[in-house]
Amino acid sequence: MTELNAIELNNLTKNFGDFKAVDDLSLTVKKNEIFGFLGPNGAGKSTTIRMLCTLSQPTSGSAKVAGYDLVKDSAKVRENIGLVAEKMIMYDRLTAAENLRFFGKLYALPKPKLEERIDELLELVNMQEWKHTQISKFSTGMKQRINVIRALLPEPKIVFMDEPTLGLDPQTTFSIRDIIRDINRSGVTVILTTHAMTEAEALSDRVAIIDHGRIAALDTPQNLKNMISGGDTTVFSVKIMNLKSKLVEKIDSLDIVTAVAQQDAHDLKISAKGNEALNQIIDTIRREGGNINSITNTNEFTLEDVFLTVTGKEMRDHANEKLAPISQRHGQTPKARVR
Amino acid sequence: MDLMKILKDSYHVMAKDMIEFRRNRMSLAALFIMPLIFLIMFGFIFPSGNTQQHMPVGLVNLDQGQGSAEFIAQLETINKNTNYMQFTNFSSVDEATAKIKEGKLYGTFIIPPGFSYNLTQGKSASFMVYIDNSNPQSSMQIQQVLSSTVSGLNDIKAEANVLELSNGTNQPVNPQAMILPYVPNIKTTIPGQTNYFNFLAPGLMIMIVMMTVMTGIPEAISKEKEMGTFDGMLSAPISQVSVILGKTTALCARGFAQCIMILVLAMILFGVTFQGSILLAFFLLILGIFSFIGIGIMAISMSGDQASSTMIVNLLMFPMMFLGGIFYPIQQMPWFMQDISKIIPLTYAADAMRKIMLLNAGIGDIMFQIVVLVAFGVVTMAIAVPLFRKSMTR
Repeated sequence: MTELNAIELNNLTKNFGDFKAVDDLSLTVKKNEIFGFLGPNGAGKSTTIRMLCTLSQPTSGSAKVAGYDLVKDSAKVRENIGLVAEKMIMYDRLTAAENLRFFGKLYALPKPKLEERIDELLELVNMQEWKHTQISKFSTGMKQRINVIRALLPEPKIVFMDEPTLGLDPQTTFSIRDIIRDINRSGVTVILTTHAMTEAEALSDRVAIIDHGRIAALDTPQNLKNMISGGDTTVFSVKIMNLKSKLVEKIDSLDIVTAVAQQDAHDLKISAKGNEALNQIIDTIRREGGNINSITNTNEFTLEDVFLTVTGKEMRDHANEKLAPISQRHGQTPKARVR
Repeated sequence: MDLMKILKDSYHVMAKDMIEFRRNRMSLAALFIMPLIFLIMFGFIFPSGNTQQHMPVGLVNLDQGQGSAEFIAQLETINKNTNYMQFTNFSSVDEATAKIKEGKLYGTFIIPPGFSYNLTQGKSASFMVYIDNSNPQSSMQIQQVLSSTVSGLNDIKAEANVLELSNGTNQPVNPQAMILPYVPNIKTTIPGQTNYFNFLAPGLMIMIVMMTVMTGIPEAISKEKEMGTFDGMLSAPISQVSVILGKTTALCARGFAQCIMILVLAMILFGVTFQGSILLAFFLLILGIFSFIGIGIMAISMSGDQASSTMIVNLLMFPMMFLGGIFYPIQQMPWFMQDISKIIPLTYAADAMRKIMLLNAGIGDIMFQIVVLVAFGVVTMAIAVPLFRKSMTR
């Protein structure tokens, strides 16, 4: 173990019965890095985080967190990590200070130091005046701010954040992103899971795109984007007024097309290869009687486009629900199936 | 992880649980209402052990002589003190038996013709008592009341006869000593009158603690699991033992509060007396909790969610409640039920508690029960704790 690595995963695997939630995952997270796990629901992000926080036993493989073995030295691992889980770790009937104090005591922080830390962190999130108010009276945003500083209380070397901005208003989202950048600047390694592309892009030094418990791609956001823009891949946004699922299937069956994702009733995102891609796609749509309203090819790639290209799946939050009616009627093409 | 840290963390978990509990008005109310309901419910639905009063009994006097009139007068005088029976006069046997068949009478005295004549002739005067034994409970009671009343009547008559005889022979005698040469002096283990509550209260205290702990542990843990707060505790550098210990201690405090309530209520409402050492009683409560807690932890470890763990706990708790000798003495059960009772820890805990509270038993007197409870606790915990650890990192 080199001093530079905060986390090392070696063939980490987690099975739930026959289902492989995390499949032979190997990677390293460098010290003082913001590392993003990006993937759709059920990709294995949360399971990986749970294993790394010693909350779940790996089926096989091993991992080192902060230099300690996950299984053999789990107590040492726990001393060095902070966790912001998907569900908020807080007691509704306790006040903000009582919650922070309770968790602080579990880390054996001396009392004066703990009180100092609580005030310092409450100030950081601008919640000093709510110190003695019960959590149950807080809004979701306020709760999450307390939840985040709770994880930071024992000054952990590594902080795991599982969807830290999920369901929050933009203002709180930005303030939490600021905190993440702040603590990272002060030397903390942050492991972030998200299915929001913009978040991974805005915060992460490196991003691992995971799908079906495996790494589909791992690099800096910029390199990932270069990976597709440097090649001959193009991502098209097409608006078709009379979009039918049969047409989606036809487009998907084209050799040049690597992935198709339907975004709403009229909009498709198609990632395709080669110079002939645009013509072939237009021909196919016309042949099937599709009425093209607009078509654009994106030059400025986002991580979303990377994700689409490497996994063949749409990444946006609302993709699942918008796709549902059509997929229920006709089923999906194998490539574009969303779990 | 050293012991001090484990204990300290347990304390933090306990303190946190107590604050949460204190701020939950509903559960706070339930804490006090449950023992009250239990005590009142069990106190009144089970036969109290006292004889029923005002049992309807018929009187058919076919004799019309002086002897029978005297007999009835004495019968009514004796009954006036106890009020066990409520007499109604009937002119014929048929009339009285018809009432018995209707269920309006428990039984009837039938004084045959010639009753007074036999008395004056120095013969035994026999009469008939007709009892409805279709209801065994009340038939037994009325038989007891009748036989004690009749023996009282016999004593009065015998006393008068002996006095008369001694006057005739000019030999001064003590008629009491003549007719009752043997006088038992009954002394009971518990001074004063006892009732069913003396039997019930100690067992009920143990049972309430058992219920609080056995249902409380799976509930407390699965609630935190579902809320997600459990992850917060388990990702902190604390032992899982601390979590169990802290939660148990918080539950124990609640169990103790309920025990004290039961004891006070039983004393005020039902005249239960506490003979033994309170310290020993509390020691036994803690021991009882220790012996039950393993089962609660096993239930949550095996099931994972609250609904199924509650089901497992109920499945175990109900036989324990009724076979543990809380409501009925085990000795009155058929042998195979007694055998089942012997493998239930509640039996031993309730038995020992009863001995402490009623008989002022010392620690030596309940050593056997203590050993059984410790053994049961050690065995279940030895299974439960590894199971729990495993289930936590599933």
